[in-house]
Amino acid sequence: MNAKNNILSIDNLDFYYGDFKALDKINMNIESNSVTAFIGPSGCGKSTLLRTINRMNELIDNTRLDGKIKFDNKNAYLDYEVIELRKRIGMVFQKPNPFPMSIYDNIVYGIKLHYKKSKNELDEIVERSLRGAALWDEVKDRLKKNALELSGGQQQRLCIARAIAIEPEVILMDEPTSALDPIATAKIEELIIRLKEKYTIVIVTHSMHQAARISDYTGFFLTGKLIEFDKTENLFSNPKNNKTEDYITGRFG
Amino acid sequence: MQNKRKKKEMIIQLIIKISTLIAVLLLSSITIFIVKNGYKKINLDYFTSDYNDKTVYVDVENNHTSEHYDISETDDIFIDEWGVGISKLNDDSNYYISYLAKNSIFENGVDLKNEPFKIKVGDIIKKIDKVNIADLKNKDIENMFRDNNLELKITRNGGGIYPMLISTLMLIFLSLIITIPIGVGAAIYLVEYAKIGKLVNIIRFATESLAGIPSIVYGLFGMILFVKFLGIGQSILSGSLTLSIILLPTVIRTTEETLITVPSSYKEASYALGANRLQTLVKIIIPNTISGIIIAVILSIGRIVGESAALLFTVGTFAKIPQNIFDSGTSLTVRAFMEVKEYAAVESACAMGIVLLAIVFILNISTKIIVKKLKL
Repeated sequence: MNAKNNILSIDNLDFYYGDFKALDKINMNIESNSVTAFIGPSGCGKSTLLRTINRMNELIDNTRLDGKIKFDNKNAYLDYEVIELRKRIGMVFQKPNPFPMSIYDNIVYGIKLHYKKSKNELDEIVERSLRGAALWDEVKDRLKKNALELSGGQQQRLCIARAIAIEPEVILMDEPTSALDPIATAKIEELIIRLKEKYTIVIVTHSMHQAARISDYTGFFLTGKLIEFDKTENLFSNPKNNKTEDYITGRFG
Repeated sequence: MQNKRKKKEMIIQLIIKISTLIAVLLLSSITIFIVKNGYKKINLDYFTSDYNDKTVYVDVENNHTSEHYDISETDDIFIDEWGVGISKLNDDSNYYISYLAKNSIFENGVDLKNEPFKIKVGDIIKKIDKVNIADLKNKDIENMFRDNNLELKITRNGGGIYPMLISTLMLIFLSLIITIPIGVGAAIYLVEYAKIGKLVNIIRFATESLAGIPSIVYGLFGMILFVKFLGIGQSILSGSLTLSIILLPTVIRTTEETLITVPSSYKEASYALGANRLQTLVKIIIPNTISGIIIAVILSIGRIVGESAALLFTVGTFAKIPQNIFDSGTSLTVRAFMEVKEYAAVESACAMGIVLLAIVFILNISTKIIVKKLKL
């Protein structure tokens, strides 16, 4: 791995909810324009780690973080304003959460927070983002309709479109398909593979198959520790750690 | 065993049904009582005319420009140069205006202060040019109208609720302007900003306790603080400030409840897009709270309309149109109370009761419609 290509590097990261240690000495590098998957049983800390990357953990009271996360070679917690950081590291959540407003307004929400744009520029951004999220053809005639009228899969793609509208460098995805049916899941997975051309994707998933299908690197977490982190094909075909093997072969989890 | 249980259930059902029946009967009998006693007074004039009788001297001038008015034939006297019909009152010897042609000169009267006074149909004429109209015959009256200039002593009957409606409207607007921003702001602070802890619990406890205090206590407090200590005097402003204290707990509570229902996933999405707290508040949280705020407004209006004890000492009891917010007036509810207290005028109080019932009814229906529209 060439150090230049590492857009994110996590260095000795500990994280506490009150007295509970949720993450324990995490070290990993995440390569640009790759898909990195975090897998592991519930409560293993994979979602917590994801949220520390764009500092969403700061919304929760009584938490503490030790160690370092470097984004673009600068400390994510010290060298960035949280707004700047979240502008450059987008996020897609487990349950599709479009705002209760029109499809159009959902997309331009982020843009309007950060930039002044003309109506024409906004129209362009909306079209580009929706095309980027493979949703344009389905919604181009009803951009003014309430986003909540879309199906679950469409809503999730809208959330992806909303995230890429502000052109982040990294997109964090927290189990983006767990609330969706298989067909919608397949569409999102296809989309994720396409998105890595432009963005770096970090995805938390419950499904090992999903991790195997779409990711380049996979990290396996257990009780707050990163047990194994490797190229996906290596991790699934030739795990070095017994616990990883037990998990991916379905002996627990 | 089975039988015993069935019997028990039947008895309980019977008790519940009887209780419901008693409640419904009570409510409907109150409504029927009020409507039966008051309906005779209700007509359009009731809403538009003053509460007190009003007597004015009015100057009218006719320069005989030979304008011709539509003729009315049902009046005792009709003077076509003035476009006015006059008839005798049934029960006394005064005359009243029974017809006014379109653009009649009588609409351009001037009172003693030289301010325009529009004579209306139904106004009673007491004197013409200082002569008691009761002493005149129809012919004499017609003759007097040959003059170019007449001074009329006119009495307009009161008995309406116009001043109370104006006072009540002023109270509603002013109270809402004071209460809604403070209440919504406090609710936003409590839900979105304050850390859960002792202070918040104390504030919550205080607002909830405030809701249980009888309104006469607020009335006395308002009288001492606003009317006396701050020297605002009995006025719409004092009344509105007192009402605001009463309304705040409800407004805070209602807004808090809707704020809590705004899904945290909306907030997370907003923060994840790089919004700060204020942007999230203004663009996501408040728009999703509008339904709660509207309900708070409607509940508040209902409370304002129904409040009497708190206004008795702070707004006043005299039925007059307040000229501004520092002027005294009286609300419909207070006046209904005073009608019975001062004159034992049950009919008048019941007529006001009908108006109040109608307002409450309309408010309740509109709340239901709004809730349905916004929540679905």
